[in-house]
Amino acid sequence: MIELEGVAKAFGAIEALRGVTFTVPDGQITGLLGPNGAGKTTALRIVYGVLRPDRGRALVNGVDLAGDRLAAQRRLGVLPHAQGLYTRLTAREHVLYFGEMHGLSGAALARRADGLVRLLGMEDFADRRTEGFSQGQKVKVALARALVHDPENVVLDEPTNGLDVAATRQVRALLRQLREEGRCVLFSSHVMQEVSALCDRVVVIARGQVVAEGTPDDLRRETGRESLEDAFVAAIGSEEGLG
Amino acid sequence: MSWLRSFRVVFAKEILEGIRDRRALVAALFFPFLGPALLAVMLSLVSQSSRRADEEGVDLPVAGRENAPNLVHFLEQGARVVAAPGDPEEAVRRGEVDVVLVIPPGFGEALRAGRPAAVRLVTDESRQQARPSAAAAEHLLAAWSRQTAAQRLVVRGIHPAVVEPLAVERVDVSTPASRAASLLATIPFFLVMAVFTGGMPVAIDATAGERERQSLEPLFAAPLPRSALALAKMAGASVFSSLALLETATGFALVPLALPSRLGFSMHLDLGIVTRILLLCLPMVALSSALMVTLAARARNFRAAQTTLSLLMLVPALPGMAIGLMSARPPPSLYAVPFLGEQLVITHLLRAEDVGPAQAGLSAAATLAATALVAALAIRTFERGQPLFDA
Repeated sequence: MIELEGVAKAFGAIEALRGVTFTVPDGQITGLLGPNGAGKTTALRIVYGVLRPDRGRALVNGVDLAGDRLAAQRRLGVLPHAQGLYTRLTAREHVLYFGEMHGLSGAALARRADGLVRLLGMEDFADRRTEGFSQGQKVKVALARALVHDPENVVLDEPTNGLDVAATRQVRALLRQLREEGRCVLFSSHVMQEVSALCDRVVVIARGQVVAEGTPDDLRRETGRESLEDAFVAAIGSEEGLG
Repeated sequence: MSWLRSFRVVFAKEILEGIRDRRALVAALFFPFLGPALLAVMLSLVSQSSRRADEEGVDLPVAGRENAPNLVHFLEQGARVVAAPGDPEEAVRRGEVDVVLVIPPGFGEALRAGRPAAVRLVTDESRQQARPSAAAAEHLLAAWSRQTAAQRLVVRGIHPAVVEPLAVERVDVSTPASRAASLLATIPFFLVMAVFTGGMPVAIDATAGERERQSLEPLFAAPLPRSALALAKMAGASVFSSLALLETATGFALVPLALPSRLGFSMHLDLGIVTRILLLCLPMVALSSALMVTLAARARNFRAAQTTLSLLMLVPALPGMAIGLMSARPPPSLYAVPFLGEQLVITHLLRAEDVGPAQAGLSAAATLAATALVAALAIRTFERGQPLFDA
């Protein structure tokens, strides 16, 4: 479970988040939906501990990131906005490197890496250096790396960005599988179809604030709109930055 | 997971990536031999030119020797008089000979008449190598001129000392050994350069490079103490820096073997000295890695990091070389200046001068204290997450 309580963050004069509060329950997929520049990435970065909030706090399974960052991060699998791969390491080496960071080692880690290579269909390129990988291959490596320690919570920043249809479907299937396994899944997106296709819950964020929250049906009902897209536009009050 | 394990995991990855990075390998494996190679070439040039001057004497081509048999006889006592080439000026210009003395036909007549007798000395002042031969020829001619003048004065009943109010006695204490020793002053400079250049690609790649490839964010999202992350990156750079240092020192130790045995001086570069030099350099390795990682982590981008670190490298290297060339004993406080103190101590070792444990200890302690300070700064930078985002 992931909780944000009154989280505020400013970069100089720019207020990226102004008191954001929401909860991401286990066994569900929660979509963080908002136009570009709404503060989605900032909120996620605070959740996975690479940014510190100016005010408020973020908790992972009840552990405050400001109090025990390492304990909270151990329970998180993270797919940042950019995959950020090492071009001189192979796909498998990425998985092993992050596995070791999470305290795995030896035969258990090797088996886990093998399992992820199969799960994500990476057999063809698992032992190649990541230089020149396609976007789909890169996302798979980053996903395997994020899941190597079997985290209870998974945070993904626009995971299907730049993927073709087949790869997008694979990622969506994976997210559903993570939900079936009872994990807490939080992902951000500015793509409406994605959110309506996947999410159990939606948190709509605009200009650094939560403007709507609930199931897609809740959202439609609250705003009195037929489609989620209309509901979203009504919630954020403009069409600016929509994808 | 323990701090040490976090450190080890990141450190192992930095090494693996460094080994696979051609730029890092070239910096660590090939560049370090540049200094020793340069020194070997310069030393062999020095020993060649000094051997020629000191032992074999100077060849002096003379054209028109039949015009001045007495002068030529005198010259033969100080140089080997040989036949001049057909076109003296062209031969000197082409560098076939260093110098040619041309005695014109009217020489004897002018001499007998008591008029200044002209000779021509053809040289090329722009050729460094030709200078000793030209100087020797001039010296001999001046000596003969003085001697002839003195004889004329004596004939007229005047003591020659009357026209010599000043007696300049030049004493050149330079020997091949001392000339070569001034070249040895470049060794500490090259050692410092090796320390910096060896670790630089890894230090930049692990910080500004990772930021540019956006691989720092997943790293910062992993449960690692930031201090372990910062120190592991420094340690990674240190390994490549040490490698370069080891090679440079080994290269310098091999220089005497690569040169002709009759170098005319002894270089104090046996295994014991090299070992002590390496130990002295270890604090420099730590400090340079700490400095490079800290600055590269705060640099705007990869290129800015490269520029900053290239300049950083010259700051400690140049003053050290300047002071190494000075012969006076430096004030004790200079030993407490990181990088400078080490270079001074190394210079003493190379000159076979006494180095007190106090001087070596002071320089090591000062450098290690500076390392701790800079490392603390780096850890703070990493804890704030600064390397992740634009500084």
